[in-house]
Amino acid sequence: MNKQTEIKLENVKKSYYLSNGEEVPVLNGIDLEIQKGEFVALMGESGGGKTTLLNIIGCLHPLSGGKYFLENENIGVVRDDYILAFIRNKKMGFIFQQFNLYTRLTALKNVALPALYAGKEKQDRNERAKKLLGSVGLGDRIGYKPTELSGGQQQRVAVARALINDPEIILADEPTGALDSKSGLEVMEIFKDFKKRGKTVVMVTHTAEVAKYADRIIFLKDGRVVSNDYKLKSNY
Amino acid sequence: MFLEIMIMALESLKQNKTRTLLSMLGVIIGVSTVIAVFAIGKGAETAVDDQFAGLSAKSIIVFGGFGGGKGGPTASSKLNIEDVQIIREEAKLIGAATGVVQGNATISYDGAEGSFAVIGTDLNFFIISNLNLVEGRLFTSDEIEDKDRVVVLGSNVVEDLFEEGDTIIGSTIVIAGKKLEVLGYFEETGANMGKTNKDESVYVPYKTAETSLLGSKGGSIMLTLEAIDVDSVELVTEEITNILREEHGLKDSQADDFRIMNAGSMVGAAQESASLMTTVLTLVAAIVLLVSGIGIMNVMFVTVAERTKEIGIAKAIGAKQENILSQFLFESIILSAVGGLIGIGLGQGMIPIISNFGGLAVTSTLTGPVLGFTFSALVGIVFGFYPALKASRLDPVDALRSE
Repeated sequence: MNKQTEIKLENVKKSYYLSNGEEVPVLNGIDLEIQKGEFVALMGESGGGKTTLLNIIGCLHPLSGGKYFLENENIGVVRDDYILAFIRNKKMGFIFQQFNLYTRLTALKNVALPALYAGKEKQDRNERAKKLLGSVGLGDRIGYKPTELSGGQQQRVAVARALINDPEIILADEPTGALDSKSGLEVMEIFKDFKKRGKTVVMVTHTAEVAKYADRIIFLKDGRVVSNDYKLKSNY
Repeated sequence: MFLEIMIMALESLKQNKTRTLLSMLGVIIGVSTVIAVFAIGKGAETAVDDQFAGLSAKSIIVFGGFGGGKGGPTASSKLNIEDVQIIREEAKLIGAATGVVQGNATISYDGAEGSFAVIGTDLNFFIISNLNLVEGRLFTSDEIEDKDRVVVLGSNVVEDLFEEGDTIIGSTIVIAGKKLEVLGYFEETGANMGKTNKDESVYVPYKTAETSLLGSKGGSIMLTLEAIDVDSVELVTEEITNILREEHGLKDSQADDFRIMNAGSMVGAAQESASLMTTVLTLVAAIVLLVSGIGIMNVMFVTVAERTKEIGIAKAIGAKQENILSQFLFESIILSAVGGLIGIGLGQGMIPIISNFGGLAVTSTLTGPVLGFTFSALVGIVFGFYPALKASRLDPVDALRSE
């Protein structure tokens, strides 16, 4: 199979600055390549820079140094809100540990919201949102608000939302962290299907059980990659 | 998409109804103040216009009873009907001149009773004033000379004393204990003559008034003159001053014992005070709106702070800065515009209350609501912009981390 690089990081650095001006380095030069269609897990100790790395890939953070290529485009230098918002909207789908759904909106409206930002017509949005909710087993819950759903159901709503604009990449930050293991595995099955369609998944996790779904595991420590092709024995 | 972001703004406002209402309160008060201000201002102007509607620009009024040395007004300082005669004979630039004796009296008819102004006058008066008969006739020169007890009624007097179906012409009414025959009555004018409402007055021959109705209380005559044209008003004023000074035997060192006013000076002064009132009240309303704007800004900052996490999520799923900016801006515009609309309703509703209980003349204007609404919408845009801009520029990761 012809390999195509989806994400490429070169010597990426990221620092935070405290209010007294003190620099706190989080990423100390990350080199990384992720191919299209790969399912990658980011693991490592807390404070190792996993989430920061994920946010950089998701264009939520500007880099402090280094280069970030997305589909061979050097987007690490882009500061234009229009372009960054477009990438987050169309290219990526974010999934968070705490779901981050809008509590006052129904499941359907939550899922359809990124399509609104993409400028899709209401009818198209709602049709696709319904279809996606059906595909994650929530076809009968479209009018429910997040508070009326279980954690597992909420995360599946969040996954449907991430998929609404048919992104190339799913970025998941501990997607199973707040779920029981059965619900967690259901989410992993969805990711597996996504990957099967030639799409890319980058997932931060602490759980080996979940990491088993990944093609490879990248370990971070103190803002550096310590291993990038570790493979757990897959159970699928 | 614009519409849908607006709907989202509306939905989030519905989420916190108490706060929404409270933040609207300032705008509501501001806009209703603007409307009330314009209604009161316009009402004052209309009142001024009405008050002088009976006067043409050519009119000149002479009041007696001023000065006259240390002892205050004396008998000679009063104007009398001879003064009218002399002015009529000597002044060259006047069209018509009439003297008016005025007082108040209790008037009754068939058990109904009321206090009204009694105006004693001659026929020239009816040329100058804008009174039109509904029915009947005016009194004649003979009736004036003979001191006949005849009377023509103002419209309100008819309304107050007579019942529907009563025969008015030829009936007898009692004024200050004397019986008078009603010759006719006038249409409603809504106008004033000095401080006297023309509709709440009865008109009798001046000799009748002087001798039998008002007696010594009758006091000074007020002269109403008309210059031959508007340009002559100043000259006539001077002419009359000279005639009256000579007639009253005033030395050069003595001040006038009468006062001459012309329509221009009276209307001007009254309009000036009415417009000053409007200016002051407008300023008050502007301050209220400014304060309400700051209130909205405050609420919007709180809203942004509360919804920081939401903003982070929106950015993560691909909202542009302008999407977030417009959502928060819509919220503040909706707040102020809806507040403005409620304010318009309240302000318009207040108008009859002000006129009934405040005793102020108010006239509903279009300027009030239009200006009030425009201002309130502007307040929403201006004061909502900064919080909305701050929201749109939040760092997505920081925003997502907040709780």
